[in-house]
Amino acid sequence: MDIISILQSKPILIGLHLGFAIVGIDLYFWLLGKFKDRIGSVKNRVVLAGMGTLAFIASWITGGYYYVVYYGSLVKPVIKGGVAPWVHNIVMEAKEHIFLFVVPMAVVVFFIACMSDEEIDRSGIRTLAIWLTGTVAVLGLLIGAMGFVISATARWGVIN
Amino acid sequence: MNKINLIISSAYAAIISSIFVVGITICAELSPALKEWLKSISGHHWTTKSIFTALIFVVISCVLYLLRKNTTGNIKRSLALLLVIVLVGSIAITAFYTGHHFKVW
Repeated sequence: MDIISILQSKPILIGLHLGFAIVGIDLYFWLLGKFKDRIGSVKNRVVLAGMGTLAFIASWITGGYYYVVYYGSLVKPVIKGGVAPWVHNIVMEAKEHIFLFVVPMAVVVFFIACMSDEEIDRSGIRTLAIWLTGTVAVLGLLIGAMGFVISATARWGVIN
Repeated sequence: MNKINLIISSAYAAIISSIFVVGITICAELSPALKEWLKSISGHHWTTKSIFTALIFVVISCVLYLLRKNTTGNIKRSLALLLVIVLVGSIAITAFYTGHHFKVW
């Protein structure tokens, strides 16, 4: 089995999707603290926001590949035929589309992170920077919780 | 590079791409023909939505930045609007699929 085949396998894809999302969420919460407490250099914030955004993009690609290639044919029928078909109809549908808000918003936060503390205060956007950064992280957490519900429903769909 | 204009341009591009996501998602669920068309482009409707979202964001960011190069705008208004649109959009998508599941529409 070559490295590409391993990366394309279902458990690895799910692990990468979740792992990259966790990295993105953690880095954005870290960045939120930097904005709130006015600590860290511009370079420090740019690295956090840049790596966080790249992590969300990687989560988008790995999760998207899994969703398009495996979810529809293998997982969706189990959930739809199980005790809680609404998990696909509501939770999965909402998750896959709300995710599309995250990366553009993360990129906007990245550009804000490029500003110095003085520029942020002069523009009067510190509170908005905190809110936007927090929203990226909290949306990531909510999407993660939705993913947990979807996985749990699929497991119980198989057991039942 | 004008950082303020970069932020304003990308914020408005994110707003437009978010509105696009909400609009295309709801319209495609209500119109099987539109969903089929989206699927025909990349093989999956969600992949097409993802590609379009990324393209809209990048292209509109660049166009707005170039158009606004030497002007200043209301950065607070653009960021506040982005925050509101994303929150309202998240609620709208969840409410739509909830209503769709319970056959409200």
